[in-house]
Amino acid sequence: MIRNVLSDIGGVGLYGVISICLFVTVFTGALVWTLLQRPSLMASLGHLPLADGERRRNPEGDSHHE
Amino acid sequence: MKTETFHYDNRIVRAFAIATVIWGLVGMAAGLLAAVQLFWPEANLQLQYVTFGRLRPLHTNAVIFAFVGNGMFMGVYYSLQRLLKARMYSDRLSWINFWGWNAIIVGAAITLPLGFTTSKEYAELEWPVDVAITLVWVVFTLNLIGTILKRRERHLYVAVWFYIATAVTVAVLHVVNSLEVPAGAFKSYPIYAGVQDALVQWWYGHNAVAFFLTTPFLGLMYYFLPKAAQRPVFSYRLSIIHFWALIFLYIWAGPHHLLYTALPDWAQSLGMVFSVMLVAPSWGGMLNGLLTLRGAWDKVRQDPVLKFMVAAVTAYGMATLEGPMLSIKSVNSLSHYTDWTIGHVHSGALGWNGFIIFSMLYWLFPRLWNTRLHSVRLANWHFWIGLLGIMFYAIPMYWAGVTQGLMWKQFTPDGFLQYPNFLETVTQIVPMYRLRAIGGSLYLLGTVIGAYNLWRTAKSGVFEPDVEARAVIQDAPRQAEHGHRWIESKPVLFTALTTVAILIGGAVEIVPMYLIRTNVPTIASVKPYTPLEVLGRDLYIREGCVGCHSQMVRPFRSETERYGDYSKSGEFVFDHPFLWGSKRTGPDLQRQGGKYPDAWHYNHMEDPRSTSPGSIMPPYPWLLTRKLDTNALPARIAALRKVGVPYPPGYELGEAQAALAAQARAVVANLALGSITNAPPDTEIIGLIAYLQRLGTDIKAAPSAAAPVAAAIATP
Repeated sequence: MIRNVLSDIGGVGLYGVISICLFVTVFTGALVWTLLQRPSLMASLGHLPLADGERRRNPEGDSHHE
Repeated sequence: MKTETFHYDNRIVRAFAIATVIWGLVGMAAGLLAAVQLFWPEANLQLQYVTFGRLRPLHTNAVIFAFVGNGMFMGVYYSLQRLLKARMYSDRLSWINFWGWNAIIVGAAITLPLGFTTSKEYAELEWPVDVAITLVWVVFTLNLIGTILKRRERHLYVAVWFYIATAVTVAVLHVVNSLEVPAGAFKSYPIYAGVQDALVQWWYGHNAVAFFLTTPFLGLMYYFLPKAAQRPVFSYRLSIIHFWALIFLYIWAGPHHLLYTALPDWAQSLGMVFSVMLVAPSWGGMLNGLLTLRGAWDKVRQDPVLKFMVAAVTAYGMATLEGPMLSIKSVNSLSHYTDWTIGHVHSGALGWNGFIIFSMLYWLFPRLWNTRLHSVRLANWHFWIGLLGIMFYAIPMYWAGVTQGLMWKQFTPDGFLQYPNFLETVTQIVPMYRLRAIGGSLYLLGTVIGAYNLWRTAKSGVFEPDVEARAVIQDAPRQAEHGHRWIESKPVLFTALTTVAILIGGAVEIVPMYLIRTNVPTIASVKPYTPLEVLGRDLYIREGCVGCHSQMVRPFRSETERYGDYSKSGEFVFDHPFLWGSKRTGPDLQRQGGKYPDAWHYNHMEDPRSTSPGSIMPPYPWLLTRKLDTNALPARIAALRKVGVPYPPGYELGEAQAALAAQARAVVANLALGSITNAPPDTEIIGLIAYLQRLGTDIKAAPSAAAPVAAAIATP
């Protein structure tokens, strides 16, 4: 019965194809772009959380300030 | 190089942190009370306000939006300022966010026990609260974008992308799923009906999990895990791929909540495929988190912050493997409607969200109050008790789910159901419900220990409201930027692209459903509910019956044998909202109409165990005495007409009340046949019985449901 409902919408299978194509495109794009980046830039971006510019005494003695 | 001094706002972080702890205790206690009621129904204290049907949404809303929500804001407000080297855009907006959000939670804590609910899971709050949520969320988003625009750090760290995705997607989901027409101060009907409502709801429901419980916390993981481990994330490249793959895939996966229902098959398959694909970015993220600790695992042994974090990330990995597995149609045919889902949800909620929040709290409290953690020993106790609690919760639920799922499907060699009495499959798993309550108690005990430890920590230190920080002023003209860095430098564009990514998935899923609206074969015999049934249905919604009873017979022999004909999408065209449910603690009710006499329902509501010995359903004696609110009828009929139910114009002005009275008299007469002679015709039970007796009966009046379609096709 469900298939009968959808037989009234032309080319419903297209939705699945479109979605997979879109995903593959976005995923490949992100992957290629990411791999092309300079390692030094990636490393510096990865360090952002460790440098928050806080200036204060740190009782725990770790490096949560610069 | 010139530097600039400024201050981070810690007050707002403290406020959210305290709210997180308090609401965590409240939400978990509500959950424990609900869990106890499943083996000891009298634990509702004979109060309608805390009976399971109303308590369950209170619990889910309290833990999701109050505990996890405040925890999310706490982490975002702390990390965002530091990642962008800027104070929040506006302190005023921050505080509107805090007080607004917590006022909404108080509103939920009042309205849900009173029975004001839309019945849509995780979106139960009625329309005035929905409006408030929208406004507060806009305030949060403005504050987020404003801070990004005035930042001193050129680059947007990946955590900030996750926050942006969260802000825009939650806004879209909430608005689309909450489109409803008011029928009173705290009553509304969704503009969608039946199949459409189900799809929109689970597009929302699934993505509430994705974009409220997952993406913000992945952002927080990418901030707090490197902070606690004192080393950068394992692979920043992987985090970028993780982000784009995850937000692009998640939005499509909603239909896996509706497998084998009357939802069109293509939508089910689409949801299944994308759900299975989701395992890749999820595990990419999990591994990225765990590998960050490479060479630092010794710290995990000593530091409770890392202990909680590692367990949280591992739980994330397990839940995101299990989720795709449960989305496979054949697995889902067994797991759906059982406690397996509850086990899955809680391994995610308790393990991932709970533990990552505790990790952040243990990290933040000593820093906010400039002191050391009161007791590492107590924090370790919290960790182990909490972990044990998760085990005691999840394992019995898996056991119960698989057991009950198999029992429902078991046939004798002669081809009859082995367990035709649904109750038999419930009493079998009640011991598991007891064990689950032990698990919940342990987890709550751990949280109490944690709260004490955090309170003592705060007491031993001095709170620093404004923390001084210094950053380089970037007044030199920026160099030309390319690629992703160019996008990052334009946060508004970045936000727009993120929105496009999530809208594509939503549109491909939902647009065809709008087309279907005109294509669902109207089954000629399916008619709108009568006025008495409308009020009865609203009582069904008010009492949260949908929390334990589905109205969706799947096309399996085990279900058609037990319940009757499987559900057709055309049967739900007047169902605003849909009430398919997602859990069968009691049996499906789609074909309940006419199955038992009216008097059976009367007795069953007064004392379920008088008709069903051993039942764990709570009694509903108040339905027998409370007056049916017939004054609400005109507004409700009018609102239902607005959302598309074809009541004739002016029907509510007189005719409807007369029809209601006539049907009520008929129910009373039926009750008299069953020796119930004292039932007043104006009580709520009369309306509920009328609704229950209508359920799934329309189609029986039309043996060939496909006939109208066939006729329509044959006629040029």
